[in-house]
Amino acid sequence: MTGYILKRLASAIPVLFGISIIVFVIMALIPGDPATAILGSYATPENVEKLNRDLGLDKPMVQRYFIWLGNMLQGDFGRSFSLNRAVLDEVLDRFGATLILAGTAFVLCSLLGIAAGVVSAARQYGLADKAITFAVLLGISIPSFFLGMMMILIFAVKLRWFPVSGMWPIYGARDLSALISHLTLPALALAVVATGVIARLSRSAMLEVLRQDFIRTARAKGVHERSVIWRHALRAAMVSIIPVLGVQAGFVLSGAVYIEMVFQWPGVGRMLVDAILKRDILLVQGGVVFVAACYVMFNIAVDVAQSLLDPRIKT
Amino acid sequence: MKLLKLSRRAMLAAGAATALALSPLSVQAQTPEDVLIVGQIAEPKALDPAAVTAVNDFRILMNVYDGLVRYKDGTLEVEPSLATSWDISEDGTVYTFSLRDGVTFHDGSAFNADAVKFNFDRMLDENHPYHNTGPFPLSFFFSAVENVEVVDDLTVRFTLNAPYAPFLSNLAYPTGLIVSPDAVEQHGTEFGRNPSGTGAFKFAEWRSNEAVVIEANADYWDGAPELQAVVFRPITDANTRTAEMLAGGIDLMVEVPPVALSEFQGETYTVHEQAGPHVWFLILNAKEGPFADVRVRQAANYAINKEAIVNDVLEGTAAVAAGPTPPAFAWAYNESLEPYPYDPDKARELLAEAGAEGAELTFYVTEGGSGMLDPVAMGTAIQADLQAVGLTVNIETYEWNTFLGEVNPGLEGKADMAEMAWMTNDPDTLPFLALRTAAWPDQGGFNSGYYSNPKVDELLEAARAATDQAERARLYQEMQVIVQEDAPWVFVANWKQNAVTSDRVENFSLQPSFFLLLDDVVKN
Repeated sequence: MTGYILKRLASAIPVLFGISIIVFVIMALIPGDPATAILGSYATPENVEKLNRDLGLDKPMVQRYFIWLGNMLQGDFGRSFSLNRAVLDEVLDRFGATLILAGTAFVLCSLLGIAAGVVSAARQYGLADKAITFAVLLGISIPSFFLGMMMILIFAVKLRWFPVSGMWPIYGARDLSALISHLTLPALALAVVATGVIARLSRSAMLEVLRQDFIRTARAKGVHERSVIWRHALRAAMVSIIPVLGVQAGFVLSGAVYIEMVFQWPGVGRMLVDAILKRDILLVQGGVVFVAACYVMFNIAVDVAQSLLDPRIKT
Repeated sequence: MKLLKLSRRAMLAAGAATALALSPLSVQAQTPEDVLIVGQIAEPKALDPAAVTAVNDFRILMNVYDGLVRYKDGTLEVEPSLATSWDISEDGTVYTFSLRDGVTFHDGSAFNADAVKFNFDRMLDENHPYHNTGPFPLSFFFSAVENVEVVDDLTVRFTLNAPYAPFLSNLAYPTGLIVSPDAVEQHGTEFGRNPSGTGAFKFAEWRSNEAVVIEANADYWDGAPELQAVVFRPITDANTRTAEMLAGGIDLMVEVPPVALSEFQGETYTVHEQAGPHVWFLILNAKEGPFADVRVRQAANYAINKEAIVNDVLEGTAAVAAGPTPPAFAWAYNESLEPYPYDPDKARELLAEAGAEGAELTFYVTEGGSGMLDPVAMGTAIQADLQAVGLTVNIETYEWNTFLGEVNPGLEGKADMAEMAWMTNDPDTLPFLALRTAAWPDQGGFNSGYYSNPKVDELLEAARAATDQAERARLYQEMQVIVQEDAPWVFVANWKQNAVTSDRVENFSLQPSFFLLLDDVVKN
């Protein structure tokens, strides 16, 4: 097992290396440079050149890449010029917020999605199946940012049950209940689409398993139906559901960008959007590499979990 | 059956848990008294006035720091602030300031001539020990400063390398605000997060991506502010900012999107409007193509229905522009200037005279950007108006930074016209950088349409060297008439900045400088 994990970890290194090159080259090639973005109206060639020199952007591209990579390997992600702050501090701050949001949404969509899929499969073509299928299709079809805005209008502006935006109250205690009240709307808005996808795939995975011999055998042996579905069938179906969860985790992370904009959640997605618009090169590069590393790690964890469930996979 | 029971039970439990968790939250705390919560458009970059460039950051800074001079309430004319008076030498190159006595920075250190010298040396002298606390992107505002001398504790002398009339109004700009040298020495590159000035409010707390809090400075030399504290919240999404205002999460909101203004009609809210030093225009390529002929440039000014753009596209959040200088510069603006009227027949006539009927034009439009208002919708309206007089207009749309990269190097060989907007603090800046012959892009300026008129060049040079305001005003007014006639641009709109306050806020008014001054504001 340890060998398998190490092998998977080793395979992540070239992936991350490749990502660092891609994000560096993209940031170097997109039109518009940070100095122009900072100076705006005052971006005379002379001012731009001076500022680029102050920002260390006057060196050749290859040299800049290796300086950046070398610093990063020593844990120095550089300094964001648009926030005037160490990139790593900012990314860690922001990533914590994103993890809370995306993590909650991920747990929500996994639990609800799998539960809905299992119920749907167990009652195939029944009333519950039809109702769930309808709800799921509706959920998949609504863009999350639109849903988010509508939720703000209804639950925050009209009913005033929840705050409109942000992660913490401006005044008052920063306790769990304050966090939950700020988290509810964005987490729900973010979870809806992924819930639908997971429900659809769980349903078909379960249907396939339920047709297999060992289920018939279990039923014939008089195993309780609840136990057949939730213990035997679901465990077998999880082998095909877990990779979907891995993919959906990536989806939830990227979907968080829109939700963070709408709800002004201080997460890494909103940070990246702002940084790209301001051409804050180091912040974009550092942020992307960090998020990519987390995503790669998460997928390795998913693979390991899968191999624990189904030892045949470990090859 | 069991399965369904279970899920029913689970749903009930989940529902009950949710209701329980939510019930105490239904009542949202009102914002506290004497604490003003401001909805800003973005997280500030830093609270170091020398290091920032965005109006968003200026809104905070103007309340924490003072400059040697400031704009008189409701105008763009300078008046004393930390300097009580000043002398300008005959030739306009030596400015001697007498400083206010007994002023201290929030960190307790004294404000004096050494502090002033420290501020400008830090920005301008590459060998200064704290020059590394930059970069200082707008330091060129003071590039005319040759040296700063401490005459005595309360007298400081600036020597310029040439007469430069905008110097005083640049001192009133945030780049000229005075920071505490002690605080810079103590915090170094982290000064931007640990600011200390002499202003009406002192810095209290910065919670990244959540809020910047400033508290009343009870010892403020110009009288302690009414409010206890101000909280600036960054809310980048305009719809969310509007929702926060409607839900009572903020007391004051800046940059209300035009479409949201209707939400704030009625007793509960007050909408504030103030025209600022902003002009939105079309750069016309006067070097080649149809716009090389002045008649075609004038035709474009007649053909475009600016009233409709301002009222229908911008919902009244801007006024029709008459010339290159915004009316907010009241002292330098030529009141006799009338905007080009909307007259498509006259436009067709001029086009026929110039033989430019049916000409094909390439038009650069941006998706959005600083001061650009609603550039896509405005571009489309302009395209339709020009098509109506027989011109064929092909729009090319670019993201803002890409757009600047295309437009700033000049339109030659690429386009016939481009959208542009400027916001400045002195009537000198825009025409000097964008209308002189010596400001063509190949010479490092922003004259991307290659306009050239020796008379205008002469007037602008003379205005920059004149130290008498009345004389400067006369020169600018003459320049405006010539430029309007020459029509190097289509003059479209002057933006009116807006803000909404709740009925708990009193004594608030917007300034033509677009700064947010909060020392007199009261919250009930």
